[in-house]
Order: sequence, then structure tokens, then C-alpha cells
Amino acid sequence: MMKFFSVLSLIFFMFIAANPCLAKIESIGFIDNVQGEVLIISGETSVQGVPNMKILPGDLIRTGSNSSVGLIMEDDTVLSLGPKSEIEIQEFLFDPAERNLSFVAKMIRGTFSFITGQIAKLAPRKVKLETPDATLAVRGTKFVVEID
Amino acid sequence: MERLRILRYLALIFLVVTGLNLTGCAKTTVVLLPDPDGKVGKLNISNEAGSVDIDKAGEATTVRGKQSLPSKPEILPEEQIAAKYGEVLANLPEQPVHFILYFKSGSTTLTPESVSKIPEILKTINQRQSQSISVVGHTDTAGNRQYNLRLSKQRADVVGKILMGKGIKKLYIKTTSHGEENPLIKTADNVNEPRNRRVEVIVR
Repeated sequence: MMKFFSVLSLIFFMFIAANPCLAKIESIGFIDNVQGEVLIISGETSVQGVPNMKILPGDLIRTGSNSSVGLIMEDDTVLSLGPKSEIEIQEFLFDPAERNLSFVAKMIRGTFSFITGQIAKLAPRKVKLETPDATLAVRGTKFVVEID
Repeated sequence: MERLRILRYLALIFLVVTGLNLTGCAKTTVVLLPDPDGKVGKLNISNEAGSVDIDKAGEATTVRGKQSLPSKPEILPEEQIAAKYGEVLANLPEQPVHFILYFKSGSTTLTPESVSKIPEILKTINQRQSQSISVVGHTDTAGNRQYNLRLSKQRADVVGKILMGKGIKKLYIKTTSHGEENPLIKTADNVNEPRNRRVEVIVR
């Protein structure tokens, strides 16, 4: 009987360890500055962005008219969105020790400026920034993108 | 008669579709700018039709749709860049600042030069009103992995405590340790390398 329970609890713990929903999701960046209406959309929830709010992988960031937001990412990338802009951070991995590096984002509309950081420096091929018309490959570092 | 009607319908559908195409036609403009240190990087812009590189300060290309080739790069006048993109550029945050503090061999004692760097770190934290400070501990490869993992954690904790002692909130400091796995200077195992005995402080 004891053995049965210990096996059961072992299975239970394995289940917990393997469940990705229970794993802690690390933030990949945060909001540095906000003006006006800025929505951070994570899955089904959307909240008004405020300074120091954390950004998670998969987040969609959307600004209204007369609005803007500046973000600082874990790898030192900085970016800003002008009014009526929208970007989805599809993938962001920054773990240089394990060589897990990637930054994939989709710009949907609006105006953006970037200074790319360590991911672009260490693994330029792993940076992919998309617009509706083209894909940007980045070999350094400061630039503006406008979609209209 | 019937055929005429069908033709009319087809013409109407054609007009609506082209109309939709025109309104739905997006355009992407990409402009390369000099880095904060003055260097100029390089971008490659590509789609189904082909690709172009831009690698000069102020150089720009425009792409009208996935199937059309990015335009031949041209350098935009500075005034035009400032007028069109001055606002979005003004909201670009400052890049995080990195500091490296070194330790005496096998210890959690900072070198005297590194002790004298602490005020500069505090100044940067206060200037930026930073609420995100990473403190990452490292060691050289002298000693075994387990020992070094512990030592790197102790080093990070020491620096974290120094910052907290100067009034920085614990909540804003994230300490991590990489042991001997992430050297600044790559060496063989069991090598004394002062530049790898370090804690990196990143102020965001």
C-alpha cells in the first residue's frame, strides 16, 4: 500500500514538473515610457501599459492615436512605437550561456524605431523582424520602420 | 442579353476587387541610422521578389507589397528624417548600462578598483530611476563546477547587498549566478583568470 502511494505521488510530481502552465514565465522586457493609450495584449487579456510593466513572450503591443511607448528588452534591445502602431513579439529567447537566442517579431502597422541588442550581436541570423511587405535581417543596429 | 448581364457583373466584381487591392496596399519604409557610438550597421530587406542591403547613415528603401522588389536605396536628408521620425526616435529608451566588478582569487572580496566603481553604478541607477537591475555572478575555472557555482552566487549576493546597503530596493535587484559556465575570457579547466572572476551589473 505504501509503495502504491509513493508511486502515485511520484507520478503526481512528474506531472507538475512537466506541466508548462505551472512553470514560471520569465519576463523578456518592460515598459520604459508611455504616452496615451497603450494596450499590452497577452492571450485573452489586455491591459493599459504603465512604466515598468513586464512584457512576456507572445505579447501584442498596440498604441492608439497620439500615443507612444518605449520598451527595454532583456538583451539590451530598445524599441519605440509611434501612434496607431502594433507589434507582436512572437519569440524572444535570451540565454547566452545555453546559446538559446532568438528574436522574432511581427510589425503589423505604424511607426517603430529600434536599437538592437545582444541577440543581434551574438546570433544575427536569429533575429527576424517582419512587416506585411518584407522581412528585415539585422546586422546592426539603429533604424526606423514605417508601415502605411 | 443574358451574356451582357454576366459581363456587367464580372466588370463590377473586377472593379470592387481592384478597389480593395488598392486600399489594402500597404507600404513599408526602412531607414538605417547611425548607432549611438557613431558606427553605421547594416540591414537586409527581403521578400518574395528579392532583397536589398542598406548600410549607410540615412539610407532608406521602400517596399510596396510582398511581390514587389524593395526600391533602390537612397539617402534621406537629415531634416526629412527628423521631421518624419523625430517623435518615435525621441521615445526610444536609453540602452541599458553594463558594469563589471572584479574579485580577488577564490574570494568574495572586491578588488580596490571595483570598490571605487560602486558610486558610478549608484549614480546610473538614480539617474535612470531604474527598477530593473541584474546582478550576475561568475567565476574562473579554478576549482570544481559545484564550488564555482556556489562562489558565483556568493559574489552576486555580496554585490546585491552592497547596492541594498546604499538604499536600492531589494525588489528592483535580480541576482543570478552562472558559475564558471559563462567566462568573459575562454580558458581550459582549472585556470586562474582574474577577468573571469567577476559580477556583472546591468542597469536598465
